[in-house]
Amino acid sequence: MCRLLSLLTVGLFVCVARAEDRVSWEITPRVTAPGQPFRLQIQVESDVVLGGAQNVGKEIKPPRGMALRLSGQIIRPDSTEATLNFSGVAPDQEGEYIIPSFNLRFARKIIVAPEVKLIVSKTVNFRRSEQARAELEIPRRTFFVGELIHGAINMYGGESEGVVASFGLESVAEGFTFQISADRQPLPVDKGQGLQTTFDLTPIREGENEIAINGIMLIQAGEVNAFSTAGRDRPFAFRRRISVEHVPEKGRPADWSGAIGKFTVETVQVSNEKPEVGEPIRLRAVLTGAGNLDRIVPPELASSEIWDVLPAVERRRHAEEQRFFVYTLVPRLPGKHATPAIHFSVFNPETRTYSRLDFPAQEVTVTGNAPAKVDLVNADPAAPVGGPGKISGLATPQPRQGATFLRTQGPVAPLAASRGFWSGNLLALLATTLTVAILLYAGYLAAHPEILIRRRARAIVKTAQTATSEAQRRGDAHAAAIAAVGGLQAGCAALLGAEPEAMTQSDVQRVFPGANREDLDILFAHAHAGRFGAQSGNESATAREVALSLLRQLHKML
Amino acid sequence: MRTPFLAITCWLTACFAAETTGPSAAERSYAKGDYAAAVEQWQQEIHSQGVTAGLLGAVGNAEWKLGRKGRAMICWERALLLDPRDTVALAGIRHAQNAGGTERPAMTWAETFSTAVGADTWLIVAAASFWVALLTVIIPKMRRKPANDWTQRARLSAVTLLALCIPGLWGARSYASRAVVRKTEVSLRLTPTLLGEPLHGVAEGDVVRTGRPFNGHIRITTADGKTGWVRAGEIESVWGGGLPADLDQKAAP
Repeated sequence: MCRLLSLLTVGLFVCVARAEDRVSWEITPRVTAPGQPFRLQIQVESDVVLGGAQNVGKEIKPPRGMALRLSGQIIRPDSTEATLNFSGVAPDQEGEYIIPSFNLRFARKIIVAPEVKLIVSKTVNFRRSEQARAELEIPRRTFFVGELIHGAINMYGGESEGVVASFGLESVAEGFTFQISADRQPLPVDKGQGLQTTFDLTPIREGENEIAINGIMLIQAGEVNAFSTAGRDRPFAFRRRISVEHVPEKGRPADWSGAIGKFTVETVQVSNEKPEVGEPIRLRAVLTGAGNLDRIVPPELASSEIWDVLPAVERRRHAEEQRFFVYTLVPRLPGKHATPAIHFSVFNPETRTYSRLDFPAQEVTVTGNAPAKVDLVNADPAAPVGGPGKISGLATPQPRQGATFLRTQGPVAPLAASRGFWSGNLLALLATTLTVAILLYAGYLAAHPEILIRRRARAIVKTAQTATSEAQRRGDAHAAAIAAVGGLQAGCAALLGAEPEAMTQSDVQRVFPGANREDLDILFAHAHAGRFGAQSGNESATAREVALSLLRQLHKML
Repeated sequence: MRTPFLAITCWLTACFAAETTGPSAAERSYAKGDYAAAVEQWQQEIHSQGVTAGLLGAVGNAEWKLGRKGRAMICWERALLLDPRDTVALAGIRHAQNAGGTERPAMTWAETFSTAVGADTWLIVAAASFWVALLTVIIPKMRRKPANDWTQRARLSAVTLLALCIPGLWGARSYASRAVVRKTEVSLRLTPTLLGEPLHGVAEGDVVRTGRPFNGHIRITTADGKTGWVRAGEIESVWGGGLPADLDQKAAP
């Protein structure tokens, strides 16, 4: 009976006894130098079958500065034992580092792993250059929101190890956008052998932000023998605190559109330098440099009275760090024009200053005819805020320029088109000319009185001829003689410069030396005899004929 | 003496007082961008009160803003006939040449010289100097006395002025004998006929030199020296009415 009770007690004890799990760890080497790789092995023994699992040790959290990654696990589904291998790199600072306790999550059981302690000491003899290592390359300065930060993870080969691959890159970068730009590229020649993974960071908020990057590089030992593995992995982990600010508001141009970096104007091209009116051409401006090319808002070109500007087309050449601004321009007017100038403001994060880039305008000769209507307008995109907003070469109208009393009623016709002006001047000129001529003629006559005397005498002679002939025809010999003598006296007086009444037969003979004196005496006696007595009766027709002949000669002489 | 002086002072004061009032309705319309209304209001002002270079320049600006290049150029050119130094018209023409593609013949030296004063001033000065010179010659002759010092000085001054006026008059004449193309597309024809062969094209707003008229056509020379015939209705002479002709208005039947 006692034996039976003993067996029952033992059986009960076995049934209710709690199962125990044993977890042990080992770090090789136990004490490491700063930056020295190490290996951590955790062995688990349990009284139950653990079952299979994926990434059992994912809850392990290495202390700050330590890189630690699960490099392998040995877990059999029907076994109660498991082995986990971790690869690590000691921090760069001396001290005791505690890896906190963590859970190992197997399929059938969760086992708590104890905390693990690593001692880092500079007393350990370790040549850092002997082994492969990874370094984070990020400029150490204050960055700006929106800036593009080029970073790189350089995986250097050591004297006895080479880096053959990398994988498992993870990043925790709150407040940043993170993007790998080139993975597993050979290191630049000046940095030795190894691999490089480059990435781009862009801060998206200001403040002190931390970036954490983890990864694994696959290294290859220099000497490979039958007992060494072909390659092994080595983790790297980086944490970096980065100060981020907003770009300063002081001195910020109105047209700054977020460009941060160092840029230069590469070129400006037009697709056709001699388009016709209405024919679209393409204006391409190329910007190069280091900076956030992707985040730049293209400069806005407004349509003008010369150009219609269609929206820009975005292009980017990553390899050449170029950004194209492409605009479609449609000329509105013919003539020689310059393409719209493209202005661009840039913030240089190193000098913390703003600068302005100007793409030079291109000369274009536009052919064809202008359309009937040209819409004008527009704001200069590069104009400072609050400045004059319109592009126009027209001056401000001044309709009140000039005094009111200078207004011209009716059409604007030059004075030269005025008929009154010319006719008035012409009349005045004619009147002046006439007056001058008259005055000159009068002066001439005044200077030569014989002209008028002879003219008067000529008239008298002519009248005397007529009267003499008329008297003869009537048979009035006395009247004929008086008329003839009067004509002879007047004509001879004009020629001799004497008074007509004083002329005698002798004076007539002085004018006509060949005249018959007897006939003249008879003529004069017959004409004047009546004044002094009875009429003379010896008047002859011959004398009258002679008188008429003399009168005719006298008329010609005058 | 005091009364006329006061009357003239009051008149000038009234004239200039009217100009110091606020902006007119046309100016306000122009400032608001209502250029059609501005043109209409300025035209009414011209019809009612007369033409000045400033008004023509303002109308030219508004016409240009409306895209009517031919009318704008006519206004500016006529404003320059009234006042060769009118800044608004000069700026408008310069803008039309630079930005608008308008072509304008280069000015000869005589035309440049003539812009020193207006064409009317040249004519008035020339006529006055002619008469002064003539009278200073005639009067001493009529009086049969030798000319005294003042007469000789006046005669010399008048003859000098007349000599200076001759190139000015010539330049003003050639300056005014130009025209502005008013139609949108005008062909320069080889012959003054309806079916004349088109040689070149001239655009609206281009300024051309005019020659002789024939058969309803006018021979013109463009800014780049091309000559040909255009229909008389396709151009409008600068030397003419105050406001540009309304070519859109159809003739009465």
